[in-house]
Amino acid sequence: MVKRNSILRKTGFTLLILFIVFFSLFPFIQMISISLKYPSDWGNPSLIPAQINLEAYKELLNIDQEMKNVPESVRVLLEETTDLTREQKDEILKKYKSTGDVFPFMKYFLNSFLLACSAASGSVILAIFGAYSFSRLRYPGRSMVQRGVLFVYMFGGILLLIPLYKMFVGIGWLSSQGGAFASLLIIYMVQTLPVSLYMLGNYFRTIPFSIEEAAMIEGATRFGAIWRIIIPLSSSAIATVFIYSFMIAWNEYLFASVFLKGFKELYTLPMGLRALFVSKNAIWDRIMAASVLTALPVIALFMSIQKRLVGGLASGGVKE
Amino acid sequence: MIGIGSINPQDLRLKEKEMVLGWALVLPAVVVILSLILYPILYNVYLSFFDVNPQYANTYVGLENHRKVVSDPEFWRAVTTTVIYVLFTTLGTTIAGLIVALAMNKEFPLRWLVRSLILFPYVAPVISVVFSWQFVFDPVNGIFMDLTYEKLGLFSSRFNLIGSPSTAVWVAILFSIWKNFPFSYLMILSRLQAVDQNLYEAAEIDGCSPLQKFRFITFPELYFVIGAIVLLRIIWNFNKFEDIFLLTENVKVLSVYTYFKAFVGTMELGQGASLAVIQFLLLVTFILVYVKKVLKW
Repeated sequence: MVKRNSILRKTGFTLLILFIVFFSLFPFIQMISISLKYPSDWGNPSLIPAQINLEAYKELLNIDQEMKNVPESVRVLLEETTDLTREQKDEILKKYKSTGDVFPFMKYFLNSFLLACSAASGSVILAIFGAYSFSRLRYPGRSMVQRGVLFVYMFGGILLLIPLYKMFVGIGWLSSQGGAFASLLIIYMVQTLPVSLYMLGNYFRTIPFSIEEAAMIEGATRFGAIWRIIIPLSSSAIATVFIYSFMIAWNEYLFASVFLKGFKELYTLPMGLRALFVSKNAIWDRIMAASVLTALPVIALFMSIQKRLVGGLASGGVKE
Repeated sequence: MIGIGSINPQDLRLKEKEMVLGWALVLPAVVVILSLILYPILYNVYLSFFDVNPQYANTYVGLENHRKVVSDPEFWRAVTTTVIYVLFTTLGTTIAGLIVALAMNKEFPLRWLVRSLILFPYVAPVISVVFSWQFVFDPVNGIFMDLTYEKLGLFSSRFNLIGSPSTAVWVAILFSIWKNFPFSYLMILSRLQAVDQNLYEAAEIDGCSPLQKFRFITFPELYFVIGAIVLLRIIWNFNKFEDIFLLTENVKVLSVYTYFKAFVGTMELGQGASLAVIQFLLLVTFILVYVKKVLKW
């Protein structure tokens, strides 16, 4: 009786675990599956493609796209006429190069990467000094600054969107590409700053002050101590905060959609993907391949810092 | 004179120096936060009293924006939708997080792998997972329709579950639970691991059933962490925009409603600002009640 009960419970538990894993991963499996399927196979609920189709990835990553739109007859003609020079051939091919409906995935990827990297760097640099200040130095107003930082948890993006939009329009930044990019960069930096301050502050407190004290007795300045001792000792925490800020900026859509509205050249990945989905040539395999390629760097980064980030999440240093 | 006062000049100079340095280091961060978070919030309140145009000067209209917003039945529909959304996502995320945390606290093979795999929904960019979810519910190709219509025959025809507002809100809720349960699970798990194992041993000696152990040991230990998670979820889900808007534009919660009002069509920025203020006040009221009644702070 007892034995049967425990076997039953064990199977039940295993089923529960399997269900949890399946529930968590199903959308990802679905995404990879569709990105590899041929259109005729989409309606088939099986997750394993009948035939592997890499066309969507090739198109997004711009591999082998040169000859794709060239009609067969022209291709044959080009190969058979030997007396054309290379330049003349290129000239003919150029005519068929379509630029209109190709989805410039790499450009969006680069935009997102640039924006996220610079925002995260700015946030981390400001946070290192700020966090050092309120974890090490004593001065009136310190606890107010520290608590005020957490207050930001309360405000959603929509509350800041309208006034920030009006402010940046007011100073004329949103009328040029550079200005729009810069204003978005600053906004992302500020949005991640409170969490960076909080996480780094918590980490700095775990570094014994005696190490710095020794250095300063030896004649190091405060900045020397920060540069030579605090930063090297907390490099892993700094990396974590950097990646966290990077991920926030990489995922952001709300501000990007308003600030970059008129600048197609500057679209970030979330903007680009959504534009592709809404447009007429939304094709599931392309959308899914783009989804996979957007998720990949973030998941890879996450895996690299998982241990530390999980600790940080659990201690409350996170904002959505 | 020397030695009478507890502060000597040398000391004072050091203290002053520390203060100057402290403020100097934290100042850049404080300045950007003040000017790009605190100031905009106040400015938003100011804007809510004006007819705002992005290009030209504002004209003062008093309470006109607020009146217009509140007298619009669509606004009240948005409030209802938001309450439904926040209520069910918070409940669902917390319960799912609790179950998963209890399961992950037990030993089983490959636990380390499972523990990190189930964090994927939380870390993946929203934009990269919404299309997969849309595909699942796609009327023509999606697996949901295939399962419920073709295989089980629950419905009389294929239809677009995300297409109509009344059903789309449930998809959005399910999506939010899927996306955010890992956060609750992590918080609860880390608290679970800190529970003193002696308590369970003592309970076992006293002959407690597993259910009693949960009721009298685990749950009281988790009470405050769950309280905190629920509070955070309420705040975040109340303000949620991307998880809903990118999945479906049909679910008009307050943030989505505000976004449409302010940035789509005629761009009623003034009314948008007023909506944002009202949304914030609603949230604050909600939190105050919650903190008093549930967390008993």
